[in-house]
Amino acid sequence: MSSLSLPGFTRRDFITTGAKLSAALFAAPYILRSATGEPGGDDTLNVALIGCGEQGRVLLNAALKIPHIRFRAVCDIWPYNRTYGERLLKKFGHDPKPYEDYREMLASTPGLDAVIVATPDFMHSEHTCAALKAGHHVYCEKLMSNTVEGARAMVRTARETGKLLQIGHQRRSNPRYLHARDHLINEAHLLGRITNSSAQWNRAVTEDLGFPASQALAEATLHKYGYENMHEFRNWRWFKRYAGGVISDLGAHQIDVFNWMLGSNPVSVLAGGGRDYYTTHEWYDNVIAIYEYPTKDQIVRATYQVLTTTSAGGGYHEYFMGDEGALKMSENPKYTKLYREARAPEWDQWVDQGYIAKPGSGEGAPAAVKPWEKPRPKMPMASKAAGVVDVRETAELSAWDIPVTLDKAIHQPHLENFFDSIRGKTTLNCPGESALATAATVLRVNEAVAARKVLTFAPEDFTV
Amino acid sequence: MSDSPASSPAACRFEYTAAFLLLRIFLGLRTFLAGLEKFEAGGRYTFANYYANMDRMAQGITGASFLPLWATKNFAHSLGYLLLLFGVLVLLGIKSRISLTLTGLLYVGLAFGLMAVQENDGIAWLGVYVGMFAGALVLVRYDRFALWRDRFD
Repeated sequence: MSSLSLPGFTRRDFITTGAKLSAALFAAPYILRSATGEPGGDDTLNVALIGCGEQGRVLLNAALKIPHIRFRAVCDIWPYNRTYGERLLKKFGHDPKPYEDYREMLASTPGLDAVIVATPDFMHSEHTCAALKAGHHVYCEKLMSNTVEGARAMVRTARETGKLLQIGHQRRSNPRYLHARDHLINEAHLLGRITNSSAQWNRAVTEDLGFPASQALAEATLHKYGYENMHEFRNWRWFKRYAGGVISDLGAHQIDVFNWMLGSNPVSVLAGGGRDYYTTHEWYDNVIAIYEYPTKDQIVRATYQVLTTTSAGGGYHEYFMGDEGALKMSENPKYTKLYREARAPEWDQWVDQGYIAKPGSGEGAPAAVKPWEKPRPKMPMASKAAGVVDVRETAELSAWDIPVTLDKAIHQPHLENFFDSIRGKTTLNCPGESALATAATVLRVNEAVAARKVLTFAPEDFTV
Repeated sequence: MSDSPASSPAACRFEYTAAFLLLRIFLGLRTFLAGLEKFEAGGRYTFANYYANMDRMAQGITGASFLPLWATKNFAHSLGYLLLLFGVLVLLGIKSRISLTLTGLLYVGLAFGLMAVQENDGIAWLGVYVGMFAGALVLVRYDRFALWRDRFD
């Protein structure tokens, strides 16, 4: 019997080496990811996170993919969340110190460059201002604050301290959104004159967040940090003392896109809504609003709807409609499309330049061809009027694709923009001043629902 | 009394003759154009397109079935030429009995490929054509206006 044994290499050696190799292979992805957190030179940034809940974890996971970031501390009043954040970071090679109180964290963590704030909206202003005053740049989740005054205080403090303040309206750093705004709308003018906008977020019924009974915070602790009880602590988004409800939680992202894409702030808002379904919430579970935006061409009316009892009606998207084309945007590429009116100039030159693409799938795309089939030749036999059932209908829109996709976590480019701005490589995509205007735009909707009438904006509503 | 078509009255013979002629023209055109479209891609008809199309077909069928690539490739590479040839034979009425039989067999071969990939719509369409070839063969003795007629003793 032949043997392949090597001199001095025993069975024990083989087993030991094999086990080490297996362990190395198993741990390779973690080692690889944690390596990105290793100090890579002078541009490594020391970061702390305040708020390790749902959104904090999303930001942590996005930030962990960015090189030269070192998490030094995590802070959360709930040990359950705090431990989760700490363990997650340790798994990827960071060694964050956990804190319950942000004041203690800011006072006892030397060398911090930036703080990420992902706490409930009513704490954003306090946490952000304290971090800025401690000399750190701040990335704060949206909505900037649950009050316009809170948002103003954040902008003032950023100006006074000279530190950067980025607000988490992450669509502003999404390359597809940037391409659509900068190239398709502003450069190529593919929409012609923008006349209307609409956006929506229709989400199915969700259960309230619970908590393990053994992990419940003591009443005294909850009161100390401003919470009435554990249910409100876990479901703060739907209570008036902590946040702005659905228009703030879901609507803020898309209403921010109205302001950003249209390059304008609204002059008025009319809104309706109510709490008609969720008996355990305070805020409205459905809101529909109509804004009026003054643009260089005309007043653009923008309708916004957020429903939290149905996902029917097309999911979530923002729509910009002009006299030559329409743009349907969403963070989900499957809801994204560009439409050309029959009266618009041909778009072939923009295809040649790579700005847009003929649809490869979905709406407007040729029928799927099976692997053994030959793509069918074009047979433009149908007249343009085909499919029109009423003389008042216009010719069908043609659908086109936007050949830019985001291949990262949706928050990652926005965090990268923040970190690169700290390094002086770029400027913020959503500085506090812009987000203040968005907060004022969003929060006025709740006032309009309550007032049951059109409310107007003054230019000073959007500024410090 | 015999109910054979051959013994039908003259009026009936005309109808059988017309029925066969219609089938022959339809099947001949369909077969010829089915062969021609194998050479098309992007609106251009070339031999390069033909081999690209046929390679795609062969690889697609092999990728989705138990059929080996050598078999599907050989069949695919000869398919277009055979369809063109048989289409001309049927259309012009050259030895219709044998040309219809061979073309029908070619369609059965195509249907076999689609059976292997469970393409039921395509199988059904080919089944309709095979039925039409069978009908044409039943009426083949009424072949007229043919370049080279079969002999029926």
